Amino acid sequence: MRLKIIRLITGGLFGFIVAGLFYTQVIQGEYFFRLSVNNRIRVVPMEGWRGQIKDRNGKVLADNRLSYDVMVTPQEIGDSAELFRFLGAALGVSEQSIARRYGRKKNAPFAPVVIAQDISKEDAIIIEENKYRFPSLSVQESYRRFYPLGENSAHVLGYVGKMSLAQRDRFKEYGYSMESVVGYSGVEEYYDNYLRGEEGGLQIEVNSRGQQVRLLGVRQSQKGQDVTLTIDSEVQQDALELLAERVGVVIVMDMDSGEILGMTSSPGFDPNIFVGSRDASEINQIFADPLAPAINRAITGLFPPGSVFKVIMATAGLETKKIMPGTSFVCPGFYQLRKAVFRCTHVHGTQDLIGALAHSCNVYFYNVGLLLGADTITHYARLMGLGEKTSIDLPYEREGSIPSREQRRLEGRGGWHAGDTLNLSIGQGEVQVTPLQLVRLMTMVARSGWVVQPHVIKAIGDTPVDKFVDERRIKVDEETLETVRKGLRGAVADAEGTARVIGDLPDLYVAGKTGTAQTSGGRKNHAWFAGYAKGKVRNISFCVLLEHGGSSYNAAVLTKDLLLRMQEKKIL
Amino acid sequence: MGRDLEKKIWLYTIGIMIIGLIALYSASFENLRVSRQVFYDQLGCAVLGLVLMYLISRVDYRHFYDFAYIFYALNVLLLFLVLVGGRHALGARRWIDIAGINFQPSEVTKIAVIFLLARYFSKRRPRFLFDVIGKLEVVFTEIIFPFLLTGLSMGLIFKQPDLGTAIVIFGIFVAMLFAGGLKARYVLGFLGTIVALVPFGWHFLKSYQKDRLLVFLNPNIDPLGAGYTVIQSKIAVGSGQIFGKGWFAGTQAQLNFLPERHTDFIFSVIGEEWGLVGALTLIYCYYQLINCGLDVAQQLKDKFAMLMAVGVVSILTLQVVINIGMVMGLFPVVGLTLPLVSYGRTSFLAFAIMIGFLLGLNKRRTVF
Repeated sequence: MRLKIIRLITGGLFGFIVAGLFYTQVIQGEYFFRLSVNNRIRVVPMEGWRGQIKDRNGKVLADNRLSYDVMVTPQEIGDSAELFRFLGAALGVSEQSIARRYGRKKNAPFAPVVIAQDISKEDAIIIEENKYRFPSLSVQESYRRFYPLGENSAHVLGYVGKMSLAQRDRFKEYGYSMESVVGYSGVEEYYDNYLRGEEGGLQIEVNSRGQQVRLLGVRQSQKGQDVTLTIDSEVQQDALELLAERVGVVIVMDMDSGEILGMTSSPGFDPNIFVGSRDASEINQIFADPLAPAINRAITGLFPPGSVFKVIMATAGLETKKIMPGTSFVCPGFYQLRKAVFRCTHVHGTQDLIGALAHSCNVYFYNVGLLLGADTITHYARLMGLGEKTSIDLPYEREGSIPSREQRRLEGRGGWHAGDTLNLSIGQGEVQVTPLQLVRLMTMVARSGWVVQPHVIKAIGDTPVDKFVDERRIKVDEETLETVRKGLRGAVADAEGTARVIGDLPDLYVAGKTGTAQTSGGRKNHAWFAGYAKGKVRNISFCVLLEHGGSSYNAAVLTKDLLLRMQEKKIL
Repeated sequence: MGRDLEKKIWLYTIGIMIIGLIALYSASFENLRVSRQVFYDQLGCAVLGLVLMYLISRVDYRHFYDFAYIFYALNVLLLFLVLVGGRHALGARRWIDIAGINFQPSEVTKIAVIFLLARYFSKRRPRFLFDVIGKLEVVFTEIIFPFLLTGLSMGLIFKQPDLGTAIVIFGIFVAMLFAGGLKARYVLGFLGTIVALVPFGWHFLKSYQKDRLLVFLNPNIDPLGAGYTVIQSKIAVGSGQIFGKGWFAGTQAQLNFLPERHTDFIFSVIGEEWGLVGALTLIYCYYQLINCGLDVAQQLKDKFAMLMAVGVVSILTLQVVINIGMVMGLFPVVGLTLPLVSYGRTSFLAFAIMIGFLLGLNKRRTVF
């Protein structure tokens, strides 16, 4: 009896074990099998190199160059002291710093540790020749981003760098790995998907200590696609030279296609600094600079448009029939609104609309503003694309803002006064736009209301990108725009015009609007000149901004020089 | 009948040994971590073990009866010596050198305890169960006194520390107490008392033993430390699935993910390389061997012999079940070998000797 019970208990215990075995091996078998595979297989990524970025003439703006990195494979290191001594002597750094770097970066026995990046070819040869003494040593060739033109087009191009931790988490699903190089800002970021090479890798089998046992497979890395931009590096070079030390923006766009020929923001930076920089202080310097050289002012900078805004006023006035082209106001040099005095630049006397645009008479537009009312002004500013992104194919574009009575009420910042309307009428106060929005505005005026999509991409690989043909037209009467155009032309051609410094140029029809935006804090005003030009080769629209550049005269001079240079190079 | 049973015992024992050698060969051959010597050692042990089995089976078990107490006393002395001057390995003192032979007295203790209890429980004592004093006397003579005797060696082994063997010895005690024919309520009462005392035992555990118990409850609390072995062995066994990855093809074993895979965790190698099929074959052999042992016990009239058989059967059952269970993560990791399969000379030979007893008892069966 007792033995039978013992037999039963024994049987039960064995049954328990068999059930456990069945559960582990059959029901969970698949799962554990996967775990065992993951246990032993590691992938060592191999970076694919990025596609080139070229300008519209095929000139390479972003390239890859061969660089040499010194690697040490931990599992074969042997006498580390000896190795570090040799490397220290070869690279001209202290033995300790190499040992420190090795200790810090060591990860897995099979994963080579990068001891020094981007060494000279001579050093690489010396190290390569000593490989027989140190089997763990290797010199790996890799491709590194290189921007042959330096600062030229830096803001359009952006730069590359290692992924940040946050990006790593976000993009893991899309095949980016820990060590992926990704684009930051500019085309490098916007078209990163096309530019970045397909990562290859070595699949290796490792043992429990992570040492490589054998190579299971190799997948070659692939080069990314080349990207051709609409940018003309010659225009960019001229813009860079003309801006020189001044802070500002130059944008030149082919107004019939929306292709950006030039977009230069000053101060700029050399994107090469970001590529495997040995000295992080250079990068820090860029970000710490109060003038923010890394910011692309053309699309990210927000400025009051000043008198350029009068284009909106003229259009709104004519469209709403509050004024006619012949409507005149007398400018005594100031405008008195109750007790407040609003100044004009000169005593203009009697001005009609075209004259007021050409001479940039504030008093004329104060009157127009009060006739229109704030709501109508806001409506037309938005209609003509101010305070709205242009959706250019570059990251970090900002939309700016057009103040309105409604917005002010919603934000609970008190009422809207007539003085606010006057300020808005001459583009002062809270109105903020990007220089690119003014380029688009001028394009609408020049092209009878047809809207183009500004863009910098011309082709990806061999495929031209032509999806930017925009058939949208804003609802503004052609007669209205014709009148505005006369005013803009007057600014250049009229003897009293604000941009008369440009004057009549052979084979070039230039029209535009100057602007001098007042700034607070006693600093110099922003100088604007935005407009369009028709040459023998193409029609362009442009915008020049000199941040705290004083009088708009300066901006007009810069524009003239730039247009002449372009004409000389048969770009215009 | 008798001859048949004997043949079956030989058959399953040899079967288990062969499966063990095959697994050990794979676990040690062409491997940097485990020397090939391990396999040849075990092969030698197997041969020696079979010879010992044969020799022991020829010995009249009544001699064991005579030597039982002396043998036990000598073993306790040895365990003392181990604690005083034994050899360290893996943080425990378990080994001792005697006359140039290095062995683990705790493995011998299992045999000694079987001798002790078989003799003690087979002796008939007058019982006066009608009054309280009589009942107390039963409790003392039939439970407390033999438990204290067994506890002497158990405590010494626990101190080494070797929780696994201590637990097995406790199991032997319970099994033999039960088989000895003591009234069920006494046995249950004893078990209940022990269970109630277990929580107090926590304080006597070494910190690594506490770790192991905590890790058993949740291996992921320390995946690279105490939990590593369990996680890796579970992966090994599970990844073998039904038919296994094949001999020498177990990635967990061959790439050294499994620690202790030639000793306590040898079953994970079998599970990984031979799958459910291989594992069940081995378990079937054990089950049959244990059933043979119980058959032997059932046919014996002599109480001492019967208790010896039960003792052997209970050790086999406990070690097989606990070892396989811990490899699969069903039990906490307590260092216990898989009988006749794990590498370990003392353990291997001790089990060969115990099976020799079964054969010997079986032979003498017809004498009475």
